[in-house]
Amino acid sequence: MSLVDAFTACAAADPAASALIWNNASWSYGELARARAGVSAALRGAGLARGDRVALLLRNSPQYVAALYGTLGAGGVAVALNALERSEVLARQITHSGSRLVLADPAHIEFEKLSALLAERDVRVIACATPDTTTALAQFTAAFPADDAPPAQCADNEPALLIYTSGTTGRPKAVVLSHGNLESNARAIAAYLDLTAADRAFCVLPFHFSYGNSVLTSHLTVGGALIIEDNLAFPQRSLQRMSNLRATGFAGVPSTFTLLLTRASFGDYDFSALRYATQAGGAMTRVAIARLRQELPRTRMFVMYGQTEATARISYLPPERLDTKLGSVGVPVAGTEIEICDPAGTPLPVGKVGEVRVRGPGIMLGYWEDPAATRDAIRDGWLWTGDLGHKDEEGFLYIDGRSVEMIKVGAFRVSPYEVEEAIALLPGVEEVAVGSVPDEVLGQAVKAVIVLRDGAQVDALAVKAHCRQSLATYKIPKIVEFAAQLPRTMTGKVQRMQLNN
Amino acid sequence: MTDALRDKIRGFILENYLFTADTKALGMDDSLLGRGIVDSTGMLEIIFFIEEQLGVKVKDEEMIPDNLDSVNRIATFVEARRKAA
Repeated sequence: MSLVDAFTACAAADPAASALIWNNASWSYGELARARAGVSAALRGAGLARGDRVALLLRNSPQYVAALYGTLGAGGVAVALNALERSEVLARQITHSGSRLVLADPAHIEFEKLSALLAERDVRVIACATPDTTTALAQFTAAFPADDAPPAQCADNEPALLIYTSGTTGRPKAVVLSHGNLESNARAIAAYLDLTAADRAFCVLPFHFSYGNSVLTSHLTVGGALIIEDNLAFPQRSLQRMSNLRATGFAGVPSTFTLLLTRASFGDYDFSALRYATQAGGAMTRVAIARLRQELPRTRMFVMYGQTEATARISYLPPERLDTKLGSVGVPVAGTEIEICDPAGTPLPVGKVGEVRVRGPGIMLGYWEDPAATRDAIRDGWLWTGDLGHKDEEGFLYIDGRSVEMIKVGAFRVSPYEVEEAIALLPGVEEVAVGSVPDEVLGQAVKAVIVLRDGAQVDALAVKAHCRQSLATYKIPKIVEFAAQLPRTMTGKVQRMQLNN
Repeated sequence: MTDALRDKIRGFILENYLFTADTKALGMDDSLLGRGIVDSTGMLEIIFFIEEQLGVKVKDEEMIPDNLDSVNRIATFVEARRKAA
């Protein structure tokens, strides 16, 4: 059974049940099912063949969900683009994925530029507006009329979704997830959270991001609902909405909770309906966890660990163990195994730190059209996560760091190479190295150290302004420093770790 | 409302989120969130700026778009709080 089949079964069982609640719009299961069928019909009408990629450039909205499930239901492979990226990166990813069709919001800030770039490349852009008004559904079904064709039946090992984890020119990297990956991980999550049709989760996480995608798919698999929120710029208002709508679940990354705890208080509202809260996307401080538990004494807190390459979820800490296992990310989700190994693949004893490797139904098919990177990540059936960790005597996992140079801003991965590549294009820059600095809210922020050509006049503001042209906002260096030379090893390799202070 | 106050607010946003001194890059009534100029953490930084640089304490319940989502709205809010103080 695929995600679409599971969703369609829920829609048939209770078509009037709420599926998505967003600002002024609310879409029931029956309405979303018709919208899904409408997108599938439009894509088939546009000549979509089984396995063809369809890129989605839509903000978090019911329309995004209809586009995602509509693509899967037509037998296509969805390419979930990050709506924060700039047109050049988006065009590169669309080309790299071989997408011939793009469902894009005409109101997206990069829409005009992107359409111009794609017109040269024989890619068809289908406009998909994302209004949040009471008439949004009627507008959508008029633009995408449904037919009675049942959803395409795809095998578990067929590709379903591409998620880009890097946008570098040399090597854009897209994780390929299968129908089986998505469905099995959604069910594993639903199982440990005890999700039912009575649940309604408050979701501020972007759907193009594996965690946000997992919140969406796990709820739509069991008939639950999602309250979609665009941002947390006004935390007090978000909490009020969450309370008024009687949310039963809340999913966040550490920065989400920091934003909420810094300028608002859960204690000011009634959260008696809030059954659970989940946290993933990097370690949260013990102080923040303690504060959250104090403000939400009746809510079960799940600390979790995962990776896009494993669909989303790898492990979770059962809430009743939070006190005795503070700092742990818990035990594997159903059907998944975790080992700590040395580089040769020999499992290490309890307490020893090594690389975390994972096996199970959520492990990706590979990186899109990149067999070398796939062979590097998946060896002997195990996904090598690049994370360092250890297990205790009861088998609980602890994460001790990253073995690869990746910066995490909020919960988003930023490749230092991508930022270096962008800065290197600025006239006057001789060399650049990118690392990170600790950030109170986001965990880490990007830092760039630049060596200028003789006589070049470039200041930090010019570097940031230049980056803003080609990089998503969260990738723009917060700190820009100039130096006479970069820190290097004896062999001449740049030492990025030296930058991180 | 003083132009000096609006210019100071606009200058802060231009320098920290648009990385330019070009005042044409930001209209006084432009929506900061709607135009994608700031995100959730950016808004938090703007609150710190208002409190530390402009000397006006922002109460949690005052963090609403009407008070904060454009240069003019921030200036109006700050002026009103200063008068009330």
